[in-house]
Amino acid sequence: MKRSDFPFLGFGVGLRRCHYGQVIEGRPRMDWFEVISENFMVEGGRPIEVLERVREHYPVVMHGVSLSIGSTDPLNRKYLKELAELAERCEPAWISDHLCWTSIGGHNLHDLIPLPYSEEAVTHTAGRIRQVQEYLGRHILIENVSSHMAFRHSTLTEWEFLSAVAEEADCGILLDINNIFVSAFNHRFEAETYIDAVPAERVVQFHLAGHQDHGKYLLDTHDNPVREEVWRLYERAVRRFGAVSALIEWDDNIPDFSELQAAAVEARRLCQSASGDDDAGAHGGIERVGAG
Amino acid sequence: MMTRARMAESNGSVPADRQMGVAPDLKSLQELLYRLITAAEGVEEGLAAERMLPEGGLDAIIVGDERLSARERVEIYANAYFYRVLDVLKEDFPATLGVVGETNFHNLITSYLIEYPPTEPGIQHAGRHLPGFVRTHPLRERWPFIADLARLERCTIEVFHGPDVEPLGAAAMRAVAPDDWPGIRLRTHPNLRILELDWRVDMVLRAVADGEPWKEPARERVAIMVWRRDLKVQYRELERGECAALTLAQNGAAFAAMCDAIVAEVGEDEDAPAQISRLVGRWLGEDVLVREKPWPARADAAS
Repeated sequence: MKRSDFPFLGFGVGLRRCHYGQVIEGRPRMDWFEVISENFMVEGGRPIEVLERVREHYPVVMHGVSLSIGSTDPLNRKYLKELAELAERCEPAWISDHLCWTSIGGHNLHDLIPLPYSEEAVTHTAGRIRQVQEYLGRHILIENVSSHMAFRHSTLTEWEFLSAVAEEADCGILLDINNIFVSAFNHRFEAETYIDAVPAERVVQFHLAGHQDHGKYLLDTHDNPVREEVWRLYERAVRRFGAVSALIEWDDNIPDFSELQAAAVEARRLCQSASGDDDAGAHGGIERVGAG
Repeated sequence: MMTRARMAESNGSVPADRQMGVAPDLKSLQELLYRLITAAEGVEEGLAAERMLPEGGLDAIIVGDERLSARERVEIYANAYFYRVLDVLKEDFPATLGVVGETNFHNLITSYLIEYPPTEPGIQHAGRHLPGFVRTHPLRERWPFIADLARLERCTIEVFHGPDVEPLGAAAMRAVAPDDWPGIRLRTHPNLRILELDWRVDMVLRAVADGEPWKEPARERVAIMVWRRDLKVQYRELERGECAALTLAQNGAAFAAMCDAIVAEVGEDEDAPAQISRLVGRWLGEDVLVREKPWPARADAAS
């Protein structure tokens, strides 16, 4: 698998409930939307109606939070079946989830718990990703999570772990720039080193989001604007990876849709500036925001 | 309330003869972290209950520093777990929250999660067992209606996410020849629920939804129908005659049998046919019925 196997979507935002009406009725300018898969893995009703109407006019990607790819529980076949059914319904450009575990012993923590960066974890997780990809009939993207725990028995750095899993599983990477920044602070490594080490040909998407500063640690809350330091890291990533589909992720204290649009426009501007290519990321939707 | 010993037994699966090493296998590590993150009294108490940690304890497994110890790092996840589920349940049970207040609701969910930790990938299922849990909770001593209220609220969540099925419309019924009416079979929409409650908690839910002050509900046996129309969840008290007829139709019933059920409730008087007609019209207008096979071929062609 390589990045060119996936389309370049441009600059998108997460589809959130408070904006459903505006997106469906107003059809605002936006290149694409990312949906949280589990919110739409329901039998019917408004969520499905919203998804179908959004999909009529915009590309969509499915981003999950409960695949629990690193868990030692068996893969949840019911979950995979529902995920596949949702993909059949909305034809996403790709499907992604997180490099972590969320459940054990049949119980779900509804959080993204980091794995030790060990050969055992690489082999275990990559094997499960391959099974998932075979079931879904497509390559998926795996996202780096932000973390507050590091394990003494880890033998790899986080970026080595991410790279090793992606190579062994032959999957794509959703590189969350904010998560790199947060984890770099929490674990005292250089975020730039991380950006420079990830295999470029596997990075299909970026996430850009805000976080909370708690003094002793940063918390990846997706409830604030993207910080200046994260934008600078994004520019570094663009200089290394080129134009990559980028998504503004905002999950709490969600502002007006216009503010999300503005962030997507900023991502595009920085992409063009950092790549030195005025056409980089040129797309039909977001470039015209602000023009009326 | 679960004791610490019970918590350790119910959450742990580490064999007594195998102490965890400083490089625990993935399964043991995940099980340990799960126990600590979900420990009801907090990570520190959870650690005190752990018997299999290596020498050096949690610090031997997780890197701590002068900013945050290993325990504090796990506590970040413990807080995130509890407050994420709590926030979702506040959204799913706003009336129950409004009645018992923040502190009581917080404590309710703390004990609820010990008995019913989430098991489904979708967090919308986390509150599935709350109505049953509340039924035997001490909060009922102060608010005896609270279990019925939680049950009604949970039902609205389930109906919201229920399947999309084309309802039976008035035109389709009108296309059925009068002679065929007794034999046609009707079924309630798969999203329709009938709750038989002991308290008029529908009034409480409506007041909270409207942002109005709520009043203690009357203790009154009532059948509440919850369904979805035009993507919106609705609920109302069922009239005389409706409950029996719609309950029959939940498993598919001949129209004649539904009429008999209505008559049995309203009594055999000259108003029964009018009542039947009015109820059928109401059900069709509310989109609560679907066709059940076989449907008269003549009516199918006409509609």
